[in-house]
Amino acid sequence: MIRRWVTIAAFIGPFLLLLAVFQYWPVVAMLRDSLYDFQLLDPSRRSFVGLGNYLDVLTDPDRLQAFAVTFSFAAGVVVTVIPTAFLLAVYLNGALPARALVRTIVFLPVVTSAVVIATMWTFLLEPNNGLVDGVLTAVGLPRLDFLTSESQALPSIVLMMLWQQTGFATVLFLSGLQAIPRELEDAASVDGASALQRLRHVTLPLLARTTMFVVVMMTVFSLQAFAPPLVMTGGGPDGTTNFLAYDIYSLAFSLQQPGLASAVSVIFMLIVLAISLLQMRLLRARWAY
Amino acid sequence: MPRLLLLACLAAAIAPSVAPAIARADDAVSAPTVACPQGVLMLHMLKPQTNPPYPGQLALFKAANPCVALDIAEVPFGQLADKIAVLAASGEPPDVIVYDGPNTQSYAAAGILLPLDPYLPAGVKDDIVAPTLAEHSYEGKLYSPGLQQTTLALFYNADMLAKAGITPPGRTLDQAWTWAQALDAFKKCQQGEGDNVTVWGLAPSRFGNGTPGFVYRDLPFLRTWGDPKAPPDSSVYKTYWAISPDGKTADGWLNTPEAIAGAQFFQDLFSVAKVTPKAGIPDAFQTGRACFTLDTSYFIAGLTNKDPGFKWGVAPMPYTRTPIVHTGSITLGVMAKSAHQEAAAKFVIAMSTGPIALDLARSTHILPVMKSLYPSLPELTQYPLNIFAEELNQWGHPRPPSAKFAQYDKIVTDALRDIAYGAAPKARLDAAVRSLRPILAR
Repeated sequence: MIRRWVTIAAFIGPFLLLLAVFQYWPVVAMLRDSLYDFQLLDPSRRSFVGLGNYLDVLTDPDRLQAFAVTFSFAAGVVVTVIPTAFLLAVYLNGALPARALVRTIVFLPVVTSAVVIATMWTFLLEPNNGLVDGVLTAVGLPRLDFLTSESQALPSIVLMMLWQQTGFATVLFLSGLQAIPRELEDAASVDGASALQRLRHVTLPLLARTTMFVVVMMTVFSLQAFAPPLVMTGGGPDGTTNFLAYDIYSLAFSLQQPGLASAVSVIFMLIVLAISLLQMRLLRARWAY
Repeated sequence: MPRLLLLACLAAAIAPSVAPAIARADDAVSAPTVACPQGVLMLHMLKPQTNPPYPGQLALFKAANPCVALDIAEVPFGQLADKIAVLAASGEPPDVIVYDGPNTQSYAAAGILLPLDPYLPAGVKDDIVAPTLAEHSYEGKLYSPGLQQTTLALFYNADMLAKAGITPPGRTLDQAWTWAQALDAFKKCQQGEGDNVTVWGLAPSRFGNGTPGFVYRDLPFLRTWGDPKAPPDSSVYKTYWAISPDGKTADGWLNTPEAIAGAQFFQDLFSVAKVTPKAGIPDAFQTGRACFTLDTSYFIAGLTNKDPGFKWGVAPMPYTRTPIVHTGSITLGVMAKSAHQEAAAKFVIAMSTGPIALDLARSTHILPVMKSLYPSLPELTQYPLNIFAEELNQWGHPRPPSAKFAQYDKIVTDALRDIAYGAAPKARLDAAVRSLRPILAR
């Protein structure tokens, strides 16, 4: 019996230890730090503030704006990426020309560094020499202040994320489509269902598991977005792209308020957990095949 | 047996983090040699990649101190403050850090810098120029003598000004333009309109991350609306200082009616007069895409070493009510946790004074911090460097000093950037003050 436990410990011990040190301990430390007021420059000088940091988060307009901006961004990404990726997947699932080339092109941004993409889009959207404004003026339209306008900065970053993440979602939808038994669609065709009816009553219900996975992944990716505000906007203009991941970083390092940053992190973690659970429940598959 | 296994796993996991600490303790002093009977002491230093001290000055130090070796770790300037914050909390900080001078009080208040007063030779403290002494002191103690100083001046493309029929601004401080005069010149010199501007009146900022609002360059747009000679309880007086004398509040100092007027003028440059772009243009002045730019004496070396193909000139910084330029630059300090405080302090003092500081000033044309070096640098009394030197002595003030400067800098920079992009000046300055309130009061 002891020998068996030793073997088990030998296999899982190192990984459990790493998991505990690098995953669980930071969460415990974050919970602890969220109850204290201190500076990162001098963490030994700390004062216990109880739930004071949480109260600050819930009453500070800047923090509330960061939450609102982040969830608006996630919603924007999900509602644009999911249909785009699904349509692309349907196209790639058919016997159409240039399928392999389109698949490669669509997937390329997924394997590119987030910082590289953010830098590239900064140049593209730059108002003086940017390609996008260049095209707009070439066709007689006025230049747009994509990243310096309060109303345009967030949609511009949603557009960038759509370009970046569509490939990943497409590949997931494609694998889901290819896993659907061909006989079910054939049976529906025999029963007289049109292509649209087959899509609505056969394909979409059977893709529920994939859709759930894609929605959860896109939501989590969006909520974790850090490079766009860091590289492109600095959280501005006027906090309209101050995503929570960037806000937490700014609070901890630039503003030297790691206790407050930890409180934001805890609240954020709980909300993300709740959203994921809700999404999984709402999008639960009612079909099995 | 299971316990042993667990211990082995634990040891394997923590070994990488422990090993460098052991190695550093062992490496600190090498075995004695004939030249160095006490061994060679290794000092660890963190510095930004492209900032001083440069190899020339380090070589001078090594030649004079063969028994001290330097292990230098470099980071991009943009990551410097974060790196210092992380290292300060670690058990293994470097002995010496090169950091941005305005952060001195933040670092001193947090206890991560060592006061250097006990190590300073007689007369050094009195030799330091006033803005640096104010910036690098905290509660009566000096934390860094200072490596160099910078101020901003107005560079202009003389060929473009001649073409536009603009008489260049004068070369002495008493001939400085007001901002109204400068704006008029920006408008006359700008070429193209609306979406088709080919030459901007004023080049975009190249400081910070390249967006408008960097406190060093842009807060003087507000502070110049103040007056240090006004009654101390007046808003005009408070506007000039932009923070209370104890550094505990910006309310009523940063958001005064005069500061709001200055912020409105700053915003109008981008949105009403449209004489400067909201986004950066690399090398806008050097490539002839802007008539004027605000820059430091560093900029002269660039224009001298690589001829831009046009005649250029330098004039004092424009002003509205009171002339003001921000000071502050890269400097050296000793970490309080250093195991070799005396050697590190001697290194910092050697780099900041005497022949090494003179070599830095000569090779870079940057203003020295020690007044005694100025007679050895006649170029500082001649055009164009005299403008920067005179500004330092007559108009120079540190960025609003506070033990929370880093936070002030971030919040005010963001506010000024948003104002440049179109945010209502009063509302945005009030919001900045609201964000600063709990931080400064802490």
